[in-house]
Amino acid sequence: MSKRIDVHHVTRVEGHGNIVVEIADSQLKECRFDVVETPRFFEAMLRGRPYIEASHITSRICGICATGHATTSLRASENALGIKPTWQTELLRKLSFHGEILDSHILHVYMLVAPDFLGVGSVIPLASSQPDIVLRALRMKKLSGDICAAVTGRHTHPIAMTVGGFTHFPKNGELEILRQQLEAARADVDATVELCASLPWPQFERDTEYISLTRPDEYAFIDGEIISSDGARLPIESYQQVTNEYMVPHSSAKFTRFQRDSYMVGALARFNNNYDQLHPRAKAAAAAFGMQPKVTNPYLNTAAQVVEIVHCVEDSINIIDQLLQKGVAPEDPVPPSTQGGEGVGACEVPRGILFHHYWIGEDGKMTGANCIIPTNQNIANLEGDMKSLVPQIMDKPTEAMQLDLEMLVRAYDPCISCSVHLTKVVRP
Amino acid sequence: MTAYTDPVGSNHTLVIGIGNPLCCDDGLGVRAAELLASEDLPPGVQVRELGTPGWGLVNHIQGWQRVFLIDAVEMGEEPGVWHRLEASQTQFISANQSISLHEPGLADSLALAQALNLMPDKIVLYGIEPSFTGPGDELSPEVTNAIPSIVKTIKQELWKTT
Repeated sequence: MSKRIDVHHVTRVEGHGNIVVEIADSQLKECRFDVVETPRFFEAMLRGRPYIEASHITSRICGICATGHATTSLRASENALGIKPTWQTELLRKLSFHGEILDSHILHVYMLVAPDFLGVGSVIPLASSQPDIVLRALRMKKLSGDICAAVTGRHTHPIAMTVGGFTHFPKNGELEILRQQLEAARADVDATVELCASLPWPQFERDTEYISLTRPDEYAFIDGEIISSDGARLPIESYQQVTNEYMVPHSSAKFTRFQRDSYMVGALARFNNNYDQLHPRAKAAAAAFGMQPKVTNPYLNTAAQVVEIVHCVEDSINIIDQLLQKGVAPEDPVPPSTQGGEGVGACEVPRGILFHHYWIGEDGKMTGANCIIPTNQNIANLEGDMKSLVPQIMDKPTEAMQLDLEMLVRAYDPCISCSVHLTKVVRP
Repeated sequence: MTAYTDPVGSNHTLVIGIGNPLCCDDGLGVRAAELLASEDLPPGVQVRELGTPGWGLVNHIQGWQRVFLIDAVEMGEEPGVWHRLEASQTQFISANQSISLHEPGLADSLALAQALNLMPDKIVLYGIEPSFTGPGDELSPEVTNAIPSIVKTIKQELWKTT
């Protein structure tokens, strides 16, 4: 038996990547996920710019994870400059971060993944056949964007977040309205869990190393320590011991590995490492999927995102309650306590752990930057999954095999254009 | 519809500027919307700059009687030439199978609104042919010259039909 699958640009992902699988004489000869995006050069763009601009520049790495990049950037600058944000700043950042996680997960679950299960090529035919599902997704997506806009001034690319704090503050009345809307959204959240738990998730298991942030006090999205499901725990400043970036010829994104050949980041890694800290309603949603850590089916990364949708809605309500109890009051950003320095910021953005590492000169200008994005940390693991999956599905018709592989890629929710990291090309 | 969508209230017409001002002429819709918003407009008209709203466009146009969109359009004419296109008389091309989150354009979002029966009674696209849509924040001279004229026409149409 010989087959060749060559998906030139997988659809319903962000950016451009190709699946290449070749089977000759029933042997797997080739199995790759090619990243064909051009490099982005954001780190070079940062050099020489005032640190105060860094979060606004790096927010543009991604139109989906803009708040994630901005928050990670701010934390890197703050750690470099010895700034400890206030309680109010931390809560407001968490709230907008939840807004973005919700927005991204809702889009992935409904617009990118659901069409595979519901037998349509995209969300547009789905809107004709099952409009209630798409209307629900759009309602939830709008609320997510409205959370970001109320806190950071815009749906995407936050304008009100700055080093040390905020330049604009939501009014208490705005937070009260958001709280009511979040409560009203519970029905849509429940319907999302019900729909997704009923989908026929592909059966495929491959244990790997799951890497995420972890915090003692909460399900970690901002700050914390790096934790591996294989047992290691490291401060974020030691991230390079975990990422160990290396290059391969077929990808313009760098690959990473820690204690095994590859590791996985994202909602499933967070779920596996930090399950105990999920909101009880989120744990109930996980039970609806039959999920208990450690889950080793990568297709269920999407299900873990649904669990996080529940958690983020509940935690957003909780954060708003804390803010309203004290009342949001304008406050000046906390000033730097050092002139220049080096700092690392780490956040769990929708697709997994994100690192920004900055060097700031005494004149306040950036002298260096390193950004390591979740998707490129996942690509080696995705290829590992593909290599393990293909022999199990080799007897299926080529089209069915191709769909299984495309669905696997989509399960990782890759943001391929973000993953492309400065790569030196040396021609022989 | 659950309670957590924005009410349109007594407004009836929404004018939306579309595009990315960091990509030169791609941002012409946003620049035109800025100019239009500074003009004296009839009651019930709102002007918004939405940048690149993706699927979110569907949420924004929902509930309005009439929506005017201002965007860069490529119809093979000289830069700066502008067009007035009614959605009911125009086919916007939607790349159905190749949709990604970074790519749902105006056509995809309008197709989605259509499929969901959320289209306003009337959608008018005011489009200007761009000269250059690469990185940069300057409009080309051709587009810069075209903007006051398209804004004036939109303003006249708003006053005449409101």
